[in-house]
Amino acid sequence: MFTIKNLTYRYPTNKTDTLNGLNFKIQPGEILGLLGPSGVGKSTTQNILIKLLDDYRGEITYRDRPLNDYGSEYYQEIGVGFERPVHFGKLTADENLKFFKKLYTTTADTDQLLKRLGLYQDRHKKVGEYSRGMKVRLNFVRALLNKPEMLFLDEPTAGLDPKNSRIIKDMIQEFKDRGGTILLTTHLMNDVEELCDRVAFMVEGRIVEINTPKNLKLAHGQRKLQVEYSNQDSTSLKEFGLENLGQNQEFLELINNKKIITMHTQEMTMDNIFIEVTGVKDHV
Amino acid sequence: MYNFRTLLAGELQRMLKYHILTASVLVAFFWIGALHLLETGDISYFFSLIVFFDVVSMSIVMVGVTIFFEKQEGVLQSIFVSPISKDEFIFAKTTGNLLQNLITILIVYFYTLLFQNININLAGLLGAILLIGLFHSLVGFLIIYYCRDFTELLVNMAAYFLIFTIPIILEFMGVLGTLATNLLYLLPTKASAVLMEGVIGQAQTRELMLSVFYLIIGSLILGYFVRRKFKIFAARESGV
Repeated sequence: MFTIKNLTYRYPTNKTDTLNGLNFKIQPGEILGLLGPSGVGKSTTQNILIKLLDDYRGEITYRDRPLNDYGSEYYQEIGVGFERPVHFGKLTADENLKFFKKLYTTTADTDQLLKRLGLYQDRHKKVGEYSRGMKVRLNFVRALLNKPEMLFLDEPTAGLDPKNSRIIKDMIQEFKDRGGTILLTTHLMNDVEELCDRVAFMVEGRIVEINTPKNLKLAHGQRKLQVEYSNQDSTSLKEFGLENLGQNQEFLELINNKKIITMHTQEMTMDNIFIEVTGVKDHV
Repeated sequence: MYNFRTLLAGELQRMLKYHILTASVLVAFFWIGALHLLETGDISYFFSLIVFFDVVSMSIVMVGVTIFFEKQEGVLQSIFVSPISKDEFIFAKTTGNLLQNLITILIVYFYTLLFQNININLAGLLGAILLIGLFHSLVGFLIIYYCRDFTELLVNMAAYFLIFTIPIILEFMGVLGTLATNLLYLLPTKASAVLMEGVIGQAQTRELMLSVFYLIIGSLILGYFVRRKFKIFAARESGV
């Protein structure tokens, strides 16, 4: 979908580059997570890909054509989900959506989307009277209203209760299953693990690691199994290597003769991988 | 210009919903009240003054304030990732602004037709509103581009009025010398004032032509900068 080669960008008022030669691809039909601490260039990268910034260096192609060759018709194909509310507060949700729908040649059934997200009964309410969570859900409807093929989502579940967060994640997954492509920016590692096919970590304007969540967990974790078992009146812990575990006599003896309390492989959590890869340290 | 009509319809809908149109009608009634209190035969001159102040100030204020509130509501982000061109956005907002100017002035004009003695060129009035409104709407764009908050917006608008309008008032009061009066022709507000004098038949043809030329060329130059700086403004307001 996108091929980004040696992408470099410097804001006119800055003395240093915000992006320092990014190289990555967004494959059609995948969900790519763009992660990193604040200020590493995630928003700048997204702003360039949604054509809000255009004086970059390097090469970006979208569907094998230079991104700069696309005009406003590019926005017929993409949807952008913002973290902040992006609607007219004194207009109802319905009026907002009708206004934006008229700008597109292809549109989705927004009533259906509103129903799915539990906003249908409040569609005639002014958006200014919506709660934060309702505004987040309405942003998601806005992102989907032109039936986009490519979605840029920024914290799509931030501030939502678990039920609505689940609905949005299901809809993201369904969008992907229909062949849609997504660039997702979030700090919620559960969402990343659940949704992303690949994850790119950014540090100081560069991508320092890009891989599937599973491979990342394997690469950064230990190939060990930790077993917690009852040992007379107390509990004990023992670790075993995963290689040839089935032939490990000590392990076999333990699971055959002891009461097992818990058993966990020792792959890393995405939170810890984020901290390790991006080098985020405690604030002093 | 595929989406111009949709954008303009949106501007008009929001004028109603945000009570901008109501405010315009109230302003029109304020001007009517002021004219009603005047005890003079022909009120053409005072009417032209009202049009001058209303169109110059409201064009800048309305563009500045509407964009500021769109910025504050985050809706600019949504607009900037829609399939519209910057020309459509700028043109729709300017046209909406001009319509709002026309509504205010036409209400006052119809009052004067019915209840006062007025002698003006209506076609000239409409043309003057369009030219003065266009120029100052574009000034409004440039002012909002460089404002970080509402206070800065108000200060910059006030600065424009002080710098460009007070000399015109001083000239009206006969305080300025010949040199200063001639230098006033450098100001867009002077060109606007001359246009309004033309509407009531008090401007020389040459002076009028120069003012029309000034505002057209000035609008083209401002339009160039408004278009050029639009991308930077859009990017700044769209932190994804």
